[in-house]
Amino acid sequence: MRARRGRKFLVEPPASATGDIAFNLIVFFLVCASVQPDSGRHQTLPRSEEIEQQQEKMENIEVRLTRTTALLNGEVVPPREFPPRLRRLLDARPRQEDRVVVVKSEKETPYHHWVRVTEMIETAGGVITIQREEERQVVLPN
Amino acid sequence: MGDIAFNLLIFFVILAQAQDDSHLQWEPAKAAEVQSAGVAKVSVLIDRENRYYVNGQNVGQVQLASAIEGILGDTPPGERKVLLKVHNEAQAMYFEPAIEAISEAGGDLVHILEEDRR
Repeated sequence: MRARRGRKFLVEPPASATGDIAFNLIVFFLVCASVQPDSGRHQTLPRSEEIEQQQEKMENIEVRLTRTTALLNGEVVPPREFPPRLRRLLDARPRQEDRVVVVKSEKETPYHHWVRVTEMIETAGGVITIQREEERQVVLPN
Repeated sequence: MGDIAFNLLIFFVILAQAQDDSHLQWEPAKAAEVQSAGVAKVSVLIDRENRYYVNGQNVGQVQLASAIEGILGDTPPGERKVLLKVHNEAQAMYFEPAIEAISEAGGDLVHILEEDRR
């Protein structure tokens, strides 16, 4: 019996096509890399003039952030209790313009903590406003 | 022919990277609910070293608002989206001025976050 000899189908591509193959590979990987979209959260901040007007009408809810904690109207509130307590405060304010929550952060407050708390405020139906502490340079006389 | 195309492509990739911020070092904060951010003309990034970048270009804190305003120009409302990419450990003294600058320039703020799958 004659032994079967396998046929060779593998043919090497011509050397002149190497550049074209590399080009197509780069285009393929570039397209793959650029398809990944960014995801995030929209945030609308009211203008400062509007806030001043609102302050005359009703006192705003204040949230103060430290490195690790959140204070609701000056009282430290644990993260689990924060959403229901804020919701209770907001429910007492049916008008949209009264639902402004002033967020004051200490300089060292990390972004992930800020994002977590502001997400809770927005979910509860509050309108976030940032109030920054003004830095004043005082020159002392000699 | 292939070599010319290859070199042209490399040239345009490098050129595009100057406008891009994919090479910058930062880690997004996590959030429970995120939506697709869509396309934006401007992206503001604060990296691990608390440096500010507008569309990949390093700028100072003072120039942030004018840099954003310069790019947005007369873009109509609804198309003035500004992506804010902040390193998750960045402190308020660095990210709050950026938020203020976006608001001052009339941009629609979008925080770029990562979905928390826990």
